[in-house]
Amino acid sequence: MKKTNRILTILIFIFLYIPMAVLIVASFNTGKDIANFEGFTLHRYVELFQDAHLLQLLRNSLVVSIISTVVATTFGTVAAVGIHNLKPRMRKVVMSLTNIPMTNPDIVTGVSLSLLFVFVGTRMLGQRDALTFWTLLIAHITFNLPYVILNVMPKLQQMDNSLTDAAMDLGCTPLQAFFKVTLHEIMPGIVSGAIMAFTMSLDDFVISYFVSGLDFVTLPVEIYSYTKKPIQPKVYAMFTLLFLLIFVLMVAMNLLQIRADRNKTVRRSKVETKAMRTFRRVAAGALACVLLVISGYLIFFAKPQEQITLNVYNWGQYIADGSDDSMEVIREFETRYPHIKVNYSTYDSNEIMYSKLSNGGITVDVIIPSDYMIARLISEDMLLPLDFDNIPNYQYIDESFRNTSYDPENRYSVPYTWGTVGILYNTKYVDEADVTGWEVLWNEKYAGKILMFGNSRDAFGIAQYLLGYDVNTTDKAELQACADKLLAQKPVLQQYVMDEIFATMQNEEAWIAPYYAGDCLTMMGENENLAFYLPESQGFNLFIDAMCIPTCAKEKEAAELFINFLCDPEIAGANMDWICYSTPLSAAKDYMDPETVFDPVSYPSDEILAHGSSYAYLPEDISRYVEGLFMEVRNG
Amino acid sequence: MSKELIRLQNLVMEFDGERILDDINLYFNDHEFLTLLGPSGCGKSTTLRIIGGFLTPTSGKVLFDGKVINDVPPYKRQVNTVFQRYALFPHLDVYDNIAFGLKVAKLPKDEIDRRVTEMLEIVSLKGYENRRIDNLSGGQQQRVAIARALVNQPKVLLLDEPLAALDLRLRKDMQNELKRIQQATGITFIYVTHDQEEALSMSDTVVVMDKGRIQQIGRPEDIYNEPKNAFVADFIGESNILDGVMLADYKVRFFGRTFVCVDKGFAPNEPVDVVIRPEDIDIVPQSEGHLVGTVTSVTFKGLNYDIIVDFRGFKWLIQTTDFHAVGSTIGIRLNPEDIHIMHKSEYSGMFGDYSSYSAEYDELTEDAGDEEE
Amino acid sequence: MKKNNAILLSTPYILWMLAFTLIPLGVVAYYALTDPATGVFSLGNLRDLNMYWGVLWESILYSLISAFICLLLGYPVAYFIAHQGAVAQKILYMLVMLPMCMSFLLRTLAWVGLLQDTGIINDFLEMIGIGRMQLIRTPGAVVLGMVYNYLPYMILPLYSTIVKINPRLIEAAEDLGCNTVQVFRRVTLPLSVPGILSGITMVFVPAVSTFYISQKLGGTDTVLIGDVIERQFKQGNNPNLGAALSLVLMILVFVCTGIMNRFGADEEGGVIA
Repeated sequence: MKKTNRILTILIFIFLYIPMAVLIVASFNTGKDIANFEGFTLHRYVELFQDAHLLQLLRNSLVVSIISTVVATTFGTVAAVGIHNLKPRMRKVVMSLTNIPMTNPDIVTGVSLSLLFVFVGTRMLGQRDALTFWTLLIAHITFNLPYVILNVMPKLQQMDNSLTDAAMDLGCTPLQAFFKVTLHEIMPGIVSGAIMAFTMSLDDFVISYFVSGLDFVTLPVEIYSYTKKPIQPKVYAMFTLLFLLIFVLMVAMNLLQIRADRNKTVRRSKVETKAMRTFRRVAAGALACVLLVISGYLIFFAKPQEQITLNVYNWGQYIADGSDDSMEVIREFETRYPHIKVNYSTYDSNEIMYSKLSNGGITVDVIIPSDYMIARLISEDMLLPLDFDNIPNYQYIDESFRNTSYDPENRYSVPYTWGTVGILYNTKYVDEADVTGWEVLWNEKYAGKILMFGNSRDAFGIAQYLLGYDVNTTDKAELQACADKLLAQKPVLQQYVMDEIFATMQNEEAWIAPYYAGDCLTMMGENENLAFYLPESQGFNLFIDAMCIPTCAKEKEAAELFINFLCDPEIAGANMDWICYSTPLSAAKDYMDPETVFDPVSYPSDEILAHGSSYAYLPEDISRYVEGLFMEVRNG
Repeated sequence: MSKELIRLQNLVMEFDGERILDDINLYFNDHEFLTLLGPSGCGKSTTLRIIGGFLTPTSGKVLFDGKVINDVPPYKRQVNTVFQRYALFPHLDVYDNIAFGLKVAKLPKDEIDRRVTEMLEIVSLKGYENRRIDNLSGGQQQRVAIARALVNQPKVLLLDEPLAALDLRLRKDMQNELKRIQQATGITFIYVTHDQEEALSMSDTVVVMDKGRIQQIGRPEDIYNEPKNAFVADFIGESNILDGVMLADYKVRFFGRTFVCVDKGFAPNEPVDVVIRPEDIDIVPQSEGHLVGTVTSVTFKGLNYDIIVDFRGFKWLIQTTDFHAVGSTIGIRLNPEDIHIMHKSEYSGMFGDYSSYSAEYDELTEDAGDEEE
Repeated sequence: MKKNNAILLSTPYILWMLAFTLIPLGVVAYYALTDPATGVFSLGNLRDLNMYWGVLWESILYSLISAFICLLLGYPVAYFIAHQGAVAQKILYMLVMLPMCMSFLLRTLAWVGLLQDTGIINDFLEMIGIGRMQLIRTPGAVVLGMVYNYLPYMILPLYSTIVKINPRLIEAAEDLGCNTVQVFRRVTLPLSVPGILSGITMVFVPAVSTFYISQKLGGTDTVLIGDVIERQFKQGNNPNLGAALSLVLMILVFVCTGIMNRFGADEEGGVIA
């Protein structure tokens, strides 16, 4: 039995550590795919330290967890002393209160806090950005407090009560008695509580995910959106470094503790004791100072006050980020306008963006929604009219992209890209004869290898083209029929995706998927087996994504500056080269790779484009109805 | 006579409606060694904690040098305490434990050094300055606790069962040690214990308490020889307590016989409790005995035998140096000075019957007493 | 004096916890009972819950299975660690803790890399001639993800319970004629019940509410309650229905932990190891 236990334990430890080994190995991989080791490199670590954004996120995480730990530890220790001295019945009540965040699932805590902050901030105080650094900090302190309390309370209970009596007997005031005696006795509890709180806070994803706005995001939350996109291997490098750091810290802590235990039983000479005690005090003091200075620096000096922060909320993979020798557009903007700092975050569907905006609690200065969503936002008074005096580059926008149906008077939007929705498939596995139209997405031959849009509008659009309905129908019976069609597709589907498509199609995990032409081109660039098909005869979506400023914006002028910047033909050209979408600025084509300019996927002939149709704004109740149907499809 | 230092006036203490102390009136003289003696839960530790300032009485007054000090916090009282389990600070070494109070009082460093060194000498712990507390034996910890309290030169030293955690040998040594220190320093000691032997051997005055009330105050000899009621008689030493009737002065009747005694001043035919100490009983041949009984159990105790003798269904404890076999019949004689007469009290009939006697039983109750409060 | 201090010191904390745990739950209830479009009182969200009982049941099932597997795997490990020397115990304890401190998102992503059709395990299977298998996007993969992520939450409380069992009791049982199996069944196991209960709670609660694991490792038909809530808030733009679902999830968890506590765990800090 002992032997089986030992073997089982070893196996379990292997089980626990294999995924981490995979991640660590991936950090040295020259290739991007986690499952495919192509060669050894240390370059990912160089990339990591060059990535200001990633380091900023790490800093954000450290700021929140250090401050919340310090506050929760102090606050919690004081509270624990108070609770300890309460009458037993009252103590029980308070401890059940303490246990609420412990027993409640994180998602409920996150949801409840975010609703509270939005409710109080937006509805009661009328603030635009209710979800800020401070609310995130409050959330972290709240879920850290119980860890401190539950670690300190047992130490207080174990402590001989007469110790404080003795101190007071010897002349200490209650406060002196606390600092001279009680504190020493409960210190192990405080330290373990603080460590627990710190690690929980540093690694917290779920609560932060619900509570954070856009202008202050922690590392785990951003990693969540990273794991949707093809993840950049430098993230693995960061994981490896963090792993090493925590490993070293833990080993050091354990060694110290083992030494301390040993010392307890061994006599020590006077000199050694005094020296060691002094050393320990100095070390503890120094550590506390360093932590204070770091957190102080991080809070007050890291972000120069005179800088404007511009919050840009855009689709994932939708701006040139410097990879593959492209222009790093945001960096370029910040270099040209040093008084503006861009805070860039991403969404992967119009609906997610809309949800985030309408739930409230955040500040966004620039968004880039699609046509139908712009119409919806306009009708719901969620966009600000643009001051075109600040956007002189609007002159370059082609005539055909002006006076569009969604913004007929050109008041709210400046086109960013346009494109089609077609079918991306892998020629290695998919018989081209089968790719004749949207119905290939229902083909049982490729069951388990088909992807589908994870947003309602695009998913219903495909069903509507296939069933021959108007894509802007408001007929509930037709919509129900579409839902049935989508439900029928579920058995052959691998997954509903948005940004996840990049990774899955590129590494051939999936073979067929509908997606935006521009992104399809990007993927085709990564994997030469991929091909694009536009079902002309059935019809397809023709979309325009345009830049807008929502009503919750704080920096309208800077936002207009940014929009103007993106309409600079030179910038737009460099940008389009990377994102592969079609540009509404003919002038930009002069700066682009000639091959792209003549690519039929990006720029189909007018003849083909005539088969396309664009989504229009659906009335509120129909939008909700479609959304509800799609939820049923996905959950059913 | 030395002057009065502390007085407790009509002291009442209640916790959650339960009365722990019931109208305590007591005074303590300067230079006195006074012991509060009683079983666990009798209120003796509560009384001590009130004097120390850790508890505020529900009603009544605590006077120190004639001034009411009810609301004076412990750190402003000229009183120091030696706690039950010493309450030494585990994060400090011996030196720093003893110097604690002096450092809080912000005394100059050389004076602290001088006084701590002096104290270490008094409690014979020289050379142990830098020992950690958990590396000390129980007796050494005890000395540190005493030194830590005494170094502050308090007017009164409160000792809450300070020897309870020590083994028997050590306890005896420490009793002498404590008495010596008290005599050397002249500080008033208020000592709490449940161990009657300890109380009798060390104290100038013993206060016997039970159920939150004082049962008897007096010198150790008086308490032993003239217990006021059945509780005191039983708690201090072993006693056989019998129902009797005081026929007249110096005449008491029990067990169907009339005995001569040395007590007087009772009402004629007043029912009384008769106390007979087991060591006072003389065993004589059957024919010469006032009473005749059968030996039902014998326990060897080292110095003597404890034998239980059945007299018409009532069992007595007798201590004797001679062996008597179980089943043998013996006679006893009672001299007048061996018979103590007490008024009837609420304790009558509760003690003094050895029908269910067992040696282990006694030790068990003593151990339980350690855990008091 | 002491009592006043107690109230003085604990009141700010009590107010904080009321403001940021209890009141938010009230806000959740408020959202759950109002109509998403008009904002007036409505029971519509609760009615809409009917659609999700299946999802809820599935979530409970998955997390119970995971908790059970965690127990089966975790107990021997905890037992093994508890019976090592002091230093080995510390090291092993640390090794169990360590994964908990690392990003669970990335660790779960690593499983995607391991399990997917073009993943490491399948490449290996193909290499040795077994051929590729459907590993990811199955219920098994979701359970695996849960077991992997929450196993430490089972091992740690079990360990701290088992290590506290007085070895004298084992000796006493052996002395009274128990063999190894009997000792385990009659002494060790009953004494580790508090650890088992707290371990099951600590695995069950995060497992029943997860959304990341099922999103990454599950297929289109493994939808858990956490997924639905996340989607209502982040995509579906129906926070009111999301709030109603959260409320149900919360009640479920409180009922479950309530049952667990009834079975033994002590009231103060029963959840923490």
